[in-house]
Amino acid sequence: MTNPDTTGPATGSRSDEQVAESLYAKAEKIYPRQVHGLFARLRVLGVLGLLGIYYILPWLRWDGQQALLLDLPARKFHIFFVTLWPQDFFYLAVLLIIAGLTLFFVTALAGRVWCGYACPQTVWTEAFLWIERKVEGDRMKQQKLDALPLNARKFRIKATKHFLWIAFSAWTGFTFVGYFTPIIELGQRLLTFHLGSWETFWVIFYGFATYGNAGFMREQVCKYMCPYARFQSAMFDKDTLIVSYIPVRGEPRGSRKRSDDPVEKGLGDCIDCTLCVQVCPTGIDIRDGLQYECIACSACIDACDDVMDKMGYEKGLIKYTTEHAMKGGKTHIIRPRIIIYAVFLMAIFVAFAWSFSQRISLGLDVIRDRNTLYRETGDGLIENVYILKVLNMDSSGHEYDLRVSGIPGLSLHKDLAVIRVDSGGVLELPVRLRADEADLDARSNDVVFELVATDDDALVAREDARFLGPQ
Amino acid sequence: MADVQVPKQQKCIAILWPSFLVAIVATGLFFSAFDPDDLYPFGEQTEISRMGVYSIGFLSFWLVSAVSGIGTLYFAMTNCMRNLPESRDQ
Repeated sequence: MTNPDTTGPATGSRSDEQVAESLYAKAEKIYPRQVHGLFARLRVLGVLGLLGIYYILPWLRWDGQQALLLDLPARKFHIFFVTLWPQDFFYLAVLLIIAGLTLFFVTALAGRVWCGYACPQTVWTEAFLWIERKVEGDRMKQQKLDALPLNARKFRIKATKHFLWIAFSAWTGFTFVGYFTPIIELGQRLLTFHLGSWETFWVIFYGFATYGNAGFMREQVCKYMCPYARFQSAMFDKDTLIVSYIPVRGEPRGSRKRSDDPVEKGLGDCIDCTLCVQVCPTGIDIRDGLQYECIACSACIDACDDVMDKMGYEKGLIKYTTEHAMKGGKTHIIRPRIIIYAVFLMAIFVAFAWSFSQRISLGLDVIRDRNTLYRETGDGLIENVYILKVLNMDSSGHEYDLRVSGIPGLSLHKDLAVIRVDSGGVLELPVRLRADEADLDARSNDVVFELVATDDDALVAREDARFLGPQ
Repeated sequence: MADVQVPKQQKCIAILWPSFLVAIVATGLFFSAFDPDDLYPFGEQTEISRMGVYSIGFLSFWLVSAVSGIGTLYFAMTNCMRNLPESRDQ
């Protein structure tokens, strides 16, 4: 480091205030310098898009109800035109596996693009940094402000920043709870101070987590807490896209005037301005090589390209490349690892889609009356009592026919003339089965309930039960 | 656990964070299988809402796995580490 002007993490004089006591380890506070360029624009696009989705999604309506509502109190997940029940847990698990495999696939192909552009930690940190810059000013002003002893001006600025952070976090927490309980009613309860105690708890809990993670922990979450950051290197190979400094071109680094001829001075293209270090949100020096702290946000690429332009050098001293390409070889996009991940992913996705399309949106549970095994009716028949739970998981209401089989002459008696269940509804239906003792083979006999929608033969549910008798 | 001088905050995070993740998974699995309305803790019917039961369930899972984390951290320290003068006052 030769440039004394910069106060980057590696060079600046450290005052006690700058050595922020962070939650995980004693780490120097990082002041990422704002960066402009292609990748910064891409990230802003990602941040705005993802935050937009997060904050707007729970307000969307579908068929007169919240379009995406993970209705935990009612144990139903409404996802646009689909309603998932606890019975459908399997689909959710497979969906998570697909998401995980997609992450593996993308990592093998393009490195840590998830970290740099789409991870909630990155997205909310960017939003918090934006608020911080609006209130405190750019990197230099922030460092100067933090070095000052507390005075009225500093207090006012810091209080404004934290007020905005907390307001933003509270809104985030509120939105989070809005995914699990209808958000419009939640908003009405919030405005009239009738929020339930658990709702309040979760708004504060999630809001606090946002405030802490995006305001204070920031890059330390990636460095110390993120499981993905720990194992992502397992998906890497020599053809994976990485952000890298090209040492053969940059070294030996050194400062110079614009008019100097680097060849004459025996210098590489790196002018050692340390801008790549200043813009780094994790506070590393990309010129030291590939490091697990690097979240591939490519802020250093933007910063360096800018400098190269100003110096009249070719862009790309820091760039997206692969290990093979850096060694002068060819990058292989199609390679065994990619093919294996892709085949797995496609297979699971096709299986999921097929199985989901075959999903019967009708549920039938049969619960035997536990109090009496059986009873004898006035006309000498054996009677068993059951409670049927009919779940209509379809998007429209249906009427159903109920049949039962298994014992000759078995008769079905129910109080309801018509079994009708609205969309998303559950009907508890007590039924009595009667059979002649002479027709029973054993003490316990198998019977099968069959429920069929009157307007759709494909909507069938079958459930086994036991019919108990004296012998 | 070679480094005896692990900062206290790091120990706290190392206990609370993984147990938090485990608690999310455990809560999801448990309450997918069991409806809170069908549960009768200590044979009693409770007045707690489903949201409340989920929350209590999550916090309990978190607590239990955090306690297990404390155990892991404690037993991972060898006796000679525990007797080191600098770790004794921690």
